[in-house]
Amino acid sequence: MDTLGFLGQGFAVAMKPGNLLVALIGSFIGTIVGMLPGLGPINGVAILLPLAFALKLPPETALILLAAVYMGCEYGGRISSILLNVPGDAGAIMTAMDGNPMAKQGKAGVALSISAWSSFVGSVVAIVGLVLFAPLLAGWSLAFGPAEYFALMIFAIACLGGMVGDKPVKTILAALIGLFMATVGVDANSGVYRFTFDDIHLADGIQFIVVVIGFFSVSEILLMLEQTHTGETVIKQTGRMMFNLREMVETWWCTLYSSVIGFVIGVLPGAGATIASAVTYMTAKRLHDKEGTFGNGDIRGVAAPEAANNASACGSFVPMLTLGVPGSGTTAVMMGALTLYNITPGPMLFTQQPDIVWGLIASLFVGNILLLIMNIPLVGVFTRMLSVPLFLLVPGIAAISTVGVYAVHSTTFDLVMMALLGVFGYLLRKMSFPMSALILGFVLGEMLEQNLRRALSISNGDLHILWESPISLGLWLMAGAMLVVPPLLRLRRRRKSAQAIAVSTV
Amino acid sequence: MTRLAHRIALLGAGATLALASFAALAEPARPECIAPAKPGGGFDLTCKLAQSALMDSKALQNPMRVVYMPGGVGAVAYNAIVAQRADDANAIVAFSGGSLLNLAQGKFGKYNVNDVRWLAGIGTDYGMIAVRADSPYKTLKDLMAALKANPSQVVFGAGGTVGSQDWMKSALVAKKAGVDFKQMRYVAFEGGGETFTALLGGHVQAVSGDIGEAAPQLQAGKIRVLAVLADKRLPGDLGSIPTAKEQGYDISWPIIRGFYVGPKVSDADYAFWEKSFKKVMASPEFAKLRQNRDLYPFSMTGKELDAYVKKSVKDYQALAGEFGLIK
Amino acid sequence: MSDRIFAVLWLLLCAGMAAVGWGISTEFAYEPVGPRAYPLLILALMAVCSAWLLFKPGEAVDWPRGALLKKVAVMIVAVLLYALIFESAGFAVATALLTVAIGRLFDGKWLHCAVGGVVMGVALFYFFDRLLDVPLPGGLLLG
Repeated sequence: MDTLGFLGQGFAVAMKPGNLLVALIGSFIGTIVGMLPGLGPINGVAILLPLAFALKLPPETALILLAAVYMGCEYGGRISSILLNVPGDAGAIMTAMDGNPMAKQGKAGVALSISAWSSFVGSVVAIVGLVLFAPLLAGWSLAFGPAEYFALMIFAIACLGGMVGDKPVKTILAALIGLFMATVGVDANSGVYRFTFDDIHLADGIQFIVVVIGFFSVSEILLMLEQTHTGETVIKQTGRMMFNLREMVETWWCTLYSSVIGFVIGVLPGAGATIASAVTYMTAKRLHDKEGTFGNGDIRGVAAPEAANNASACGSFVPMLTLGVPGSGTTAVMMGALTLYNITPGPMLFTQQPDIVWGLIASLFVGNILLLIMNIPLVGVFTRMLSVPLFLLVPGIAAISTVGVYAVHSTTFDLVMMALLGVFGYLLRKMSFPMSALILGFVLGEMLEQNLRRALSISNGDLHILWESPISLGLWLMAGAMLVVPPLLRLRRRRKSAQAIAVSTV
Repeated sequence: MTRLAHRIALLGAGATLALASFAALAEPARPECIAPAKPGGGFDLTCKLAQSALMDSKALQNPMRVVYMPGGVGAVAYNAIVAQRADDANAIVAFSGGSLLNLAQGKFGKYNVNDVRWLAGIGTDYGMIAVRADSPYKTLKDLMAALKANPSQVVFGAGGTVGSQDWMKSALVAKKAGVDFKQMRYVAFEGGGETFTALLGGHVQAVSGDIGEAAPQLQAGKIRVLAVLADKRLPGDLGSIPTAKEQGYDISWPIIRGFYVGPKVSDADYAFWEKSFKKVMASPEFAKLRQNRDLYPFSMTGKELDAYVKKSVKDYQALAGEFGLIK
Repeated sequence: MSDRIFAVLWLLLCAGMAAVGWGISTEFAYEPVGPRAYPLLILALMAVCSAWLLFKPGEAVDWPRGALLKKVAVMIVAVLLYALIFESAGFAVATALLTVAIGRLFDGKWLHCAVGGVVMGVALFYFFDRLLDVPLPGGLLLG
């Protein structure tokens, strides 16, 4: 049978009423879990897995449920980013950069609906990519060894150069703080403990979720306190709920290329939604930010990262289905689920159990349509969240964020760490250190160092390995272009406008 | 009369005893399985195995839940249990051979192997050495010969740092080949998935890992397992893989998976858990559940396990000393 | 000024960490770089940036003063205490106390905060612990 035949078969599985219902429930729960700061797709999937088992769902239905939850979380994460400036999950950190300013301008509804739309486009692009190129991409992702990953990290950092803005020293220092925090804990190569001060709680390093919640959630409620004290209203809740045609056209191009970039990054095991959304946000900023609107509520700054994080979530299915290697933390949990059903993800899955693979792909598609339909009318409901009085909303954010940390790190140590990082984050934000640079430094830090060292231990110290392969060479060139091209463009623009002024004055 | 009194007393004592044992075997109200890792890893699977086995067989009436407490291959959970929840009969904690190895190297903080009550071993995995399907090394001997000729022409990859149990397997192979383990080339990846990707992509030439995680790649014919590090050949599909022993290299590396409870958990509660595990592990359903998770039989509880664990830790200590890992 | 104070503190921290980092060593390693070089490099770069900040600080920061400073301090203490008693007191009790503490800072009435806190503590406990199956400490009340 050809691909289309298989896909048709998959849709027949996904469209069964029972499976549709399961997809609907999964999408809804996913959206809620994704929206809650700290709880992300890993929790969503881990929560529903025993349930699927207890209900004795057949394997394809269970997989549909889990995929729907996963996608739902990627949709849900944006909601708290936009409305509260507290990212619902790590992939939605960049969404807050422009989403929250939009909400403050009274355009929360527009931001929510356009991001639902771009999430949908991102997913569809990625699913099409999954259908057409999965086996091809699987081979390609194998070509990524430590040297290639190192080059990819350099490329990502070059993209982030766009963040430097008007406070270069503080941005760089923030990124360095993130890079340094990533070195705490056991060194993945030599096994020695670094900067743990003999405390076993730091043996695995400072935990990502603790950092995200501390820096974004706890510090945010401290800032909220200031804002209310000075009489600044936190968010206005007015205006239309839907984006209009002009806004759709405006975001169309960046949504599309962000989807493609997001998918490609998602395919690589180890990269993932956080990096994908950061890279695309910065790319969009570099390409379109002519008047300094990015960071102040530019609608493209909402569309790009949302398209990317959904595309990357779908992309991470490629290594899972074709190689049997999890592409993200969530797919790792899903692989565990599959083994419980005695299904071994990997190269044989497409031939041995096509109904499961294609049922999953079709249900990803169906799930996304459901999510789009569900999310657009829910925009009104979500924005109403802002009418909860602050004296309940703020402690609610604090409590839910803490639950998010506790769900994966059930120790008082991590909770206290979260609180302390929150205070530190508050001080840094008051002094206008960009938090996004810090968190990306933290994400990229470990991969940057470990892959460099891995590459060098493969080559026994020979530096050539770093740019030997065509992929790494290509990435180095792209990184160079990222650094060189935008300033040149800016120069040319300035010269042009200078000429124009000269002409007009003559 | 005295006889009657005696009888009554005996009856009473019997009743109290029965009552006491009944009370003792009452199950904990909020049973939980602590997986000392993030969701999705081997510890998670160990807990899920216990969860389904204990709940399916109705050995537990109350739902058992999985709590995640990552850090240092179990070090954080070990410390939390010993220091804060020593008498909490609700919690069983998953451990693996990897935890024991770290414990042996003193990486569990101030506590040692005598600080908890080892409860049950429920399965084991075995180490293995694999190469890519198209590799020139057909047997373990080929690999050893190549290593001996030039230690730097084979790059080993594994999913653990220097000193971890994945590294140990590579180092043991080098040692048996007569090569200084410091001379071999070794790259540490994050977990088995990354390691196999690197092997398939040709970035490393050989990997050491666990047979369970190699199974999917093996079925697909992408890799060749040169040797399984077990005393005997494995049952089932993987029985065609030779052991290292039969190829003349005495390397055996089981990675057991099991549970412990806090040091001050009462004998009665400990007995409840032990009895439940014993009962469950004897059933054929359990064998199937265990097989689904790519684990091999290893059922041991109570004193027997306690002795086994303590001996393992001692052996690991000796080994780590040999490799210069304990200063 | 704040930038300068921060820069000095951060330079001291870098120095301290560098002293710790210098001691990172391995018996043997399979790689030319080793675990010590990279953190020291990052520390050196951080020190350069901090020094830069020391000599060319940014604009003054508008720190909270007076009543607001007190409020911020109370909130920090509340969040820290929450983290500390979360496990021992249990989720419901800790959350109720936190809600009262923070709610008062956001001008909630005593009664509203207290009722809201208790309702939220219990409701969220059941929502997460029972409905979503995220195990939470029951603590004093619901243990």
